[in-house]
Amino acid sequence: MNTLLTPLLAALLCTATLARAADDADLAALSLADTEAAPVAPARDWQLFIEGAAGFGVDGAGGHDQSQRLSGSFSLDTRLAPDWRLVLSDRLDQRWTGSFDDGDAVNTLRDAYLSWQAGDNTALDAGRINTRYGVAMGYNPTDWFRANAIRSRVSEDPGSLRENRQGSVMLRGQQLWDGGAATALYSPELSDIRRDGSFNLDLGATNYRDRGLLAVTTRINDSLSPEWLLYRAAGGEPQLGANLTVLANAATVAYVEWSGGRASSLAALAAGYDDSSFRNRLALGATYTTTSKLSLTLEYDYNGAGLDDAGWQALQAGSPLAYWRYRALVRDLQELPTRHAWFARAAWQDAIISHLDLTGMLRINGDDHSTLTWLEARYHWDKTDLALQWQMNRGDAGSEYGALAQRQFWQVLMTQYF
Amino acid sequence: MLKSSLYAALLLCATVAHAAPDAQSLLAATDAIRNPEKPFSLTTTLTEYRNGKQTDTSTLAVYSKADKAGGEFRSLIRFEAPVRDAGKLMLKSGNDLWFYDPATRASIRISPQQRLLGQAANGDVVTVNLAKDYKATLVGEEDVQDGERQARHAYKLALAAVSPDVTYNKIEMWVDQQNSRPIKAKFFADSGRLLKTAYYRRFENQLGVLRPTETVIIDGLDPNWVTVMRFGGYGWRDIPEGWLQKDYLPRFKPE
Repeated sequence: MNTLLTPLLAALLCTATLARAADDADLAALSLADTEAAPVAPARDWQLFIEGAAGFGVDGAGGHDQSQRLSGSFSLDTRLAPDWRLVLSDRLDQRWTGSFDDGDAVNTLRDAYLSWQAGDNTALDAGRINTRYGVAMGYNPTDWFRANAIRSRVSEDPGSLRENRQGSVMLRGQQLWDGGAATALYSPELSDIRRDGSFNLDLGATNYRDRGLLAVTTRINDSLSPEWLLYRAAGGEPQLGANLTVLANAATVAYVEWSGGRASSLAALAAGYDDSSFRNRLALGATYTTTSKLSLTLEYDYNGAGLDDAGWQALQAGSPLAYWRYRALVRDLQELPTRHAWFARAAWQDAIISHLDLTGMLRINGDDHSTLTWLEARYHWDKTDLALQWQMNRGDAGSEYGALAQRQFWQVLMTQYF
Repeated sequence: MLKSSLYAALLLCATVAHAAPDAQSLLAATDAIRNPEKPFSLTTTLTEYRNGKQTDTSTLAVYSKADKAGGEFRSLIRFEAPVRDAGKLMLKSGNDLWFYDPATRASIRISPQQRLLGQAANGDVVTVNLAKDYKATLVGEEDVQDGERQARHAYKLALAAVSPDVTYNKIEMWVDQQNSRPIKAKFFADSGRLLKTAYYRRFENQLGVLRPTETVIIDGLDPNWVTVMRFGGYGWRDIPEGWLQKDYLPRFKPE
């Protein structure tokens, strides 16, 4: 009898103890909630941060270089009148390489525009606007306004490349309705000369020809809202585009981004001839998030205007001038140099300890198999971030990443928000 | 005659004594207490404590309206603080979730699992119509302590998800027998693991109804992780249908 009762009593006692422990925890939590919370800053229209960075690069021959950067970023989104908004966004990067006597400043005017809310569902914007399209993460075939938009490259992180670029001067209108939206924009040619002065507005980079875009989003059902785009630049053929995301399950979002139209290849553009034919660009990927706050993205990218494997080999074997001219064009247009690429990203929030975020990114050229690896550890306090970044480029001498002068690059960053 | 009348009276008494309320109606009543019936906005301040120390604070402005057809709430959530996140937005329409970062000008679709990463995971607890997504069963009556540590006689409801795409597979909820106010709730994962316990407290008259202005959330795995949500600034809002889509996010700037 005792042998039966003992475990039963022990189990009952254990259950009672656990229940009491849970009640005690609840009471402790409620007492904690009674304490006055620290005051919260009121909402405001502007954001300002200053970032300092120190970098250390190693080249293929074992040589090394040092660099320093001090950056300031300011954004303002304020209401001038009930229906009028002013949006300003600017960034200044001051760099030094080697010594502090050898400095260079680059200002990037990201946004400077006025917005008029003509009605609940109608809006008009005019000014310099950093407009961005595309649902993919590593390569955006429908983000046509990315071309020539980067003045100062501070990181290979795709988020940074999208953020730190100058807008194009344009007139933009948007009409919304229940279940859809249409946006039309016109960006005129203002200059055909690019200028690299520190504070130059560099309109020749963003407004080098007349461009127009029409984007329409239609809701098919609650979870399916494709976006259709039509883009045309003066002297070019119309380009079609589409963006679609699908919730595959509670933890996975799959996406596809496509653009297509008659256009010259990048090689023809670099060499100055026309070989127009219908070319597709595609990004296809998915992001999966685990219960332990880890998000994993895998993406396949295709650029029908890039060089195929044979063409890429031939370019590497030919004139260095032609090779680097092609590389410079691809970099300015933020394109893929060859047909196929893979992009993978892992972001782990509150990794190991609270407030520590670890991010890793891998780019693989699908044709020459060179790789770019980028890792970041970022710890954040309330108004301060401290980050350590490491980048490694690997591949054969003429490959996409192997040809870069730096093999490895370390960078320490500190960001202070105000 | 007397005998049959006595039987009838006894039967009536017995029926009254055991008149169990309809669990689903009770759940709907708690929804109506937590959620205003017309489009509204409010400010939520989330304060997070770890091991008794305040570790994080964030403020969200929530704009919400119930879907005309299904009754499901659709919300626009704007991050006001901390400064690093100020201006970021989340659009939530069922499991259709979009996150907008004004810095990158990007509207990114996120999965329900991804939404759980941030503090905003708790931010929409205020606007969930549980009666729509769960089938309620009356489990019994219990005396429980409420969020103010007062003893309350409560109905205990067991909520089972009727739709597969909800965040919590199972919920237990205690409802005040006197006034149908939600007292506390326990949220469970598919595996049966307790994810969080929530206490609804500090009831105040907001938009014409006595509503909880604080929710204290205790993590199921780590009871020393406590999040306090304080709701204020309630107001009726006109929220046009056109706003509740990702294309509107860059334009959303509440006054």
